[in-house]
Amino acid sequence: MEDIEKTFETRELTISMGPQHPATHGVLRLVLNLDGETVVKCTPYVGYLHRGIEKLGENRTYFAALPLSDRLDYISSMNNNVGYVNAVEKLFGIEAPERAKFIRTMVAEMGRISSHIIWLGTHVLDIGATTPFLYAFREREVIMDLFEMLCGARLTVSYPRVGGVRNDISQEFLDRLYEFVLDFPSKMDDYETLVTENRIWKSRTVGIGVISAEEAVNWGLTGAVLRGSGVDYDVRKYAPYDAYDKMEFDIPIGRKGDCYDRYLVKMGEMRQANRILKQCIEKLPAGPVMADAPKFTLPPKDMVLKDMEHLIHQFILITKGPTVPEGELYMGTEVPKGELGFYFVSDGTGKPYRMRVRAPSFIHASVLPRLCEGGLIADVIANIGTIDIVLGECDR
Amino acid sequence: MTAGKLIRTIFFIEILQGMALTLRTMFTPAVTRRYPKVKRPVQPGFRGLHALAKNEEGKMKCVGCGLCGAYCPSQCIHIYTTEGEDHNKVVDRYEIEVLRCVYCGFCVEACPFGAISLSEHYEYSGYSRKEFYMTKEKLLANWDKYFTGKKGERYYKDFWRPKSEDFHGYEGQAMFKGIKNEK
Repeated sequence: MEDIEKTFETRELTISMGPQHPATHGVLRLVLNLDGETVVKCTPYVGYLHRGIEKLGENRTYFAALPLSDRLDYISSMNNNVGYVNAVEKLFGIEAPERAKFIRTMVAEMGRISSHIIWLGTHVLDIGATTPFLYAFREREVIMDLFEMLCGARLTVSYPRVGGVRNDISQEFLDRLYEFVLDFPSKMDDYETLVTENRIWKSRTVGIGVISAEEAVNWGLTGAVLRGSGVDYDVRKYAPYDAYDKMEFDIPIGRKGDCYDRYLVKMGEMRQANRILKQCIEKLPAGPVMADAPKFTLPPKDMVLKDMEHLIHQFILITKGPTVPEGELYMGTEVPKGELGFYFVSDGTGKPYRMRVRAPSFIHASVLPRLCEGGLIADVIANIGTIDIVLGECDR
Repeated sequence: MTAGKLIRTIFFIEILQGMALTLRTMFTPAVTRRYPKVKRPVQPGFRGLHALAKNEEGKMKCVGCGLCGAYCPSQCIHIYTTEGEDHNKVVDRYEIEVLRCVYCGFCVEACPFGAISLSEHYEYSGYSRKEFYMTKEKLLANWDKYFTGKKGERYYKDFWRPKSEDFHGYEGQAMFKGIKNEK
């Protein structure tokens, strides 16, 4: 027996997981060094979806770069839009009217629910449960239909505008959204019945990918991954933008920092998002939806037809862009994945001198080796799912 | 391990609860559609295939100012103009690379004449890239095809942004009006 063990040669196996692996949520490539089933070393390779969005932003005016932010994290494009316009508004020194702020908060929370629903569906599907995936898409479809009613597009919405929102919401939209809001908690209960206490799910996630609070902060993690480790940090609460300072909501936090706690945090966030949505609808004030800042917003279209001054404004703003104060600015907003930050360097012209995007997915992808090394190869899938990365945002 | 937990573990309670839910869902109406046969109704204002608007006389509204092309984030609109007989601008070619378009609708917002519009048509396919290079003639034909009758007139009234009322608020805005069907 001993002779066989001596002569039996074992060595590390290097495999490449991705970029076309169905469980990597995009084109993420992981090179895994395996000792049997144990991961010895994990190296993520990103960049397969690089489109140069930061550079493209430098060649477009502040207004025209808005659709680029749709394509960062394409399953929660509304949140990216809201983050982008908030940063640009802060740079311009203008403020959106109250009603526009409430509408933005509303649509951002809808985006959060739809993104978390996809995360739940795919994460659970990766681990082996097919049913919640189908249920999740049923609810997402409602939100997508509402987005279509709102702005004419389902996925890449480009709905908020610098200084407000594109158009006012309709009564039908508001009523249907309220119906959804009242109905959603029961749907959440359905997901929880299927997943939360399930023994297979628990054995696959409890104690997997543990990261302590101190380490999570040091790695620069944000969003549910940070909160799952027990750090009470949310941009919406500690640096409120839009109407979040008028909303009542809690921040769910985990304790252990494993996959299961991150799952609980995200589920809690969905319930909180629903709570914010309900308050938004009930407190929605009347008033304008675009800021009265003629130097920074496109003029009203009916006036463009009648009035020469407005027509000149239209031409100047679209071809040259607005005249922007010089300087630099960073603004972070809470998107479903974490903290999405936009950093602008302005040289006084209508186009940014530099546009930098702080993408949460990129930072979360960098923590993968820390989570995976020492674990089993099957847990790599659980770890990819739990940090909820979208490669469109990671590679930009 | 408490007694309740032990019972739940032995009798697979959480699995049975999940299965009961699945069984219940089997008897609810299906939410999916049989796509090519049953089509999803498109909401008004959907951003689909482009069309160039015609005025009442049936002529192209576009004057070739080039504002849509300047605003377009994907830079897929190409306009070529020449000087006409009485020194007016003549639009010789107006071309949209549909495959590059991102359907943001910014061209509709930029146009000061209401000349370009996005129709509700979204099912188009072809065998070559050439079919998706929309020339002026194709775009004008799209207008006849997808904006028949009152639809074309209404389009600009409904979907021209921003409107004056967006800047000062108006009566009849959508508001929360209490719970309708309270159980």
